Amino acid sequence: MGPATLVFWIASLFALGGGLGVVLFKQAIRNVLSLVVVMLSLAVLFLLLSAQFVFAVQVIVYAGAVMVLFLFVITLLGPVREQSTMRLPWQVFISAVVIAGFAGFLVAMLRGVTYRTPDAADPLFGTVQAIGAGLFTDYLFPFELTSILLLVAAVGAIYLSRGPR
Amino acid sequence: MLLDAGTIQVGSEQLEVSWFLLLAAALFVLGAIGVLIRRNPLVMLICIELMLNAVNLTLVAFARQLNNREGQLFALMTMTVAAAEAVVGLAILVDIFRVRDLEDVDDLSELKG
Repeated sequence: MGPATLVFWIASLFALGGGLGVVLFKQAIRNVLSLVVVMLSLAVLFLLLSAQFVFAVQVIVYAGAVMVLFLFVITLLGPVREQSTMRLPWQVFISAVVIAGFAGFLVAMLRGVTYRTPDAADPLFGTVQAIGAGLFTDYLFPFELTSILLLVAAVGAIYLSRGPR
Repeated sequence: MLLDAGTIQVGSEQLEVSWFLLLAAALFVLGAIGVLIRRNPLVMLICIELMLNAVNLTLVAFARQLNNREGQLFALMTMTVAAAEAVVGLAILVDIFRVRDLEDVDDLSELKG
């Protein structure tokens, strides 16, 4: 087993452990910190998949900015009492059935894929040059649309949280 | 192997792409479990973020296997959408919590028909 395989297994163990923490911890702050673990291990996997720019964005934007936002909201709201009892009868059982069916569906879908032949290998694959060239040539219009989306989200967040009126 | 998605070359090693795909599927299912069984709206938002991250892993793995940059570009778009979703969702939550002390998403059922 070489170093790349070892890195993959360690990172995926951390990702799965963090995912379990997100679902199982009772305090919201622990859920958020588990999600940070998941995001950092996914960033390592992105690097393994030679997606350097996506790696950098994942660490800076996701594990940095978005998670800090979640932490701010948690400190703002204080501890939330979560009711341990389920409101719906049989909720865990129904959830288990739905999730088992959904997981089976996902695996069946992945098995049914026929893969086309890969493109020619590009020495710049995943670098900032390749991503930037894609964003500013073929995908310029979607890229500009995301800026409008971010503007709308920022204005909406300020409007929603501007205080009592 | 359960899936036959080919391999990628990392250094001198061959990694199965299906490992990445199965890990992403497992993380997505974990996020779905969280949305279904947790009652705290904040934790449900966190679980949605987990599902979006799992999708990103799938996109980047396919991009690497097919030597195709569109997968990575779309992962970046997903991150933008996820950030916008988190901002608006958290703003709505803060607004709701300011009006009243919420314990459970089921307390927000006045609009139910």
